[in-house]
Amino acid sequence: MADSAATRGAAFVPVRATSTVAAVANPAVAAAARQVKIEIKDLNFFYDKFQALKHISLSLFDRKVTAFVGPSGCGKSTLLRVLNRMYELYPKQRAVGEVLVDGANILGPGQDLNMLRAKIGMVFQKPTPFPMSIYDNIAFGIRLYEPLSQSEMDERVQSALERAALWGEVKDKLGQNGLGLSGGQQQRLCIARAIAVKPTILLLDEPCSALDPISTQKIEELITELKTEYTIVIVTHNMQQAARASDYTAFMYLGELIEFNLTSVIFTRPEKKQTEDYVTGRFG
Amino acid sequence: MADFALTRRFAGRSSIADAAFKASTWCFAVLVLVLLGAVIIALIDGALMALERFGPSFVITETWNPVRETFGGRAPMLGTLITSAIAMLFGIPISFGIAVFLTQLCPVWARRPLGVGIELLAGIPSIIYGIWGLFVLAPYMQAHVQPLLIDTLGALPLIGPLFAGPPLGIGMLTAGFILGIMVLPFIASIMRDVFDTVPSMLKESAYGLGATTWEVVWNVVLPYTRVGVVGGIMLGLGRALGETMAVTFVIGNAHHLSVSLLAPGTTISAALANEFTEAVEDIYQSSLIALGLILFVITLIVLSAAKYMLIRLQSRTGT
Repeated sequence: MADSAATRGAAFVPVRATSTVAAVANPAVAAAARQVKIEIKDLNFFYDKFQALKHISLSLFDRKVTAFVGPSGCGKSTLLRVLNRMYELYPKQRAVGEVLVDGANILGPGQDLNMLRAKIGMVFQKPTPFPMSIYDNIAFGIRLYEPLSQSEMDERVQSALERAALWGEVKDKLGQNGLGLSGGQQQRLCIARAIAVKPTILLLDEPCSALDPISTQKIEELITELKTEYTIVIVTHNMQQAARASDYTAFMYLGELIEFNLTSVIFTRPEKKQTEDYVTGRFG
Repeated sequence: MADFALTRRFAGRSSIADAAFKASTWCFAVLVLVLLGAVIIALIDGALMALERFGPSFVITETWNPVRETFGGRAPMLGTLITSAIAMLFGIPISFGIAVFLTQLCPVWARRPLGVGIELLAGIPSIIYGIWGLFVLAPYMQAHVQPLLIDTLGALPLIGPLFAGPPLGIGMLTAGFILGIMVLPFIASIMRDVFDTVPSMLKESAYGLGATTWEVVWNVVLPYTRVGVVGGIMLGLGRALGETMAVTFVIGNAHHLSVSLLAPGTTISAALANEFTEAVEDIYQSSLIALGLILFVITLIVLSAAKYMLIRLQSRTGT
């Protein structure tokens, strides 16, 4: 790599510095206008007295896939759950700092939690279809916020299932219970459900950890397709997955952000020794 | 070879013990069926005389005249159903509210004390509920609740007759109300237990779509736990149908069925408890046993209906 020296010189202060790096390392990424979608500023997170996130500052770009990687307990899932304030469901969990989504601080006291979560889709480690029909699984979230006619709803359900690459497999059994689908189909159903409410951000918390390799491949292809419309954040334990599916990677360790850069940089010429050891499998 | 013989010997020894164990557990299981059969036979045998004498009119006539020895079970039958229905009307929504609060909204420190309180409510003997109903609740109903009902709901068309008549304190409504309080801890604690089985990830998925707590409970938690919830309600209903002591105290024990819920009535179990000592004539006793048989059949129908409902629910949603 000819630009290796330049990349190393750019160092880890990602937001501004990497834009020049990006131009060198990946012209395609640079060509698309990069816009900051989520800006995390000096974020600290506490489970009661235990501090799980320490001074995290990080920018996530619009219509890009950002992967959070790191060993178990490093805080990557916690960071994800701060982005839609899912932690608020539980007592004694609190976040201190700022998370700006489109410039507005979502950690502020005036933030409407339901509206926030309606705008940010989330998919979990295991498929979590609701105990209702496939159709209703998709329609559930839409009904909460939009009074649609039956035909409009049918269209929305179909388009969500199509975008989640599930329509062909379920179009003849929309009335059946979502729990009757296979694991991979259930997970795509959950993705369809999340995008049906037209969020701008998708949070994926180890979405493939309970799936077989073929289902995993389908989900990864789906992520690549969906990033044209959504800002996607994915937590993963699988280094290959992060390398394949993401544009940017943040490596975290013990609640700290160790390194954030283009995925291609993180996996080929990481700045820190720790990152290199982790992504090459020497520890963690 | 020696090892083989040893294993065989052990195997032989344990297989005898195993067979004995298996046989004895079989016996215990069969015992249940034998007891059930014996109860049914005893009930039918005892009720036969009354059923032969009065025929089908036993369930549709209201006359209950020990002197002239004519008996009809309509009043206690319907009384049982109506008081239980009132109990469910009070009990189910309140239990649901308690369970939702305890599992979804309650701060952690208050969860245990409240849970224990509800379980203690279930431990109060029914005679205490009866005494409390007669000396505390009934006078209060007479002085405050019933006049209010008569003045408001009683003046409405259609449902007005349900709340007509003098405020006596005791009566069907008061009995139903007491029953509602009595079944509340059973339904609430079962609902709480099954609500706790819902995976937090499933609830988070619904919250993640922007659902409110109510929407999550109603659309996700309740469908996920419907089998357990229906089971809890049926347990409560079973208790309400058979409850004797508390009802006997406050229902007024009149073998006459009024349209008004404020009027006194009776239930099958209240009638049995009240009259068994007086039933010296064979036909009187047989009529009481026939009432018992009817209660048994009602309970059986309720349980079967619940099972059928669950099967329908499951096949409709395709699981």
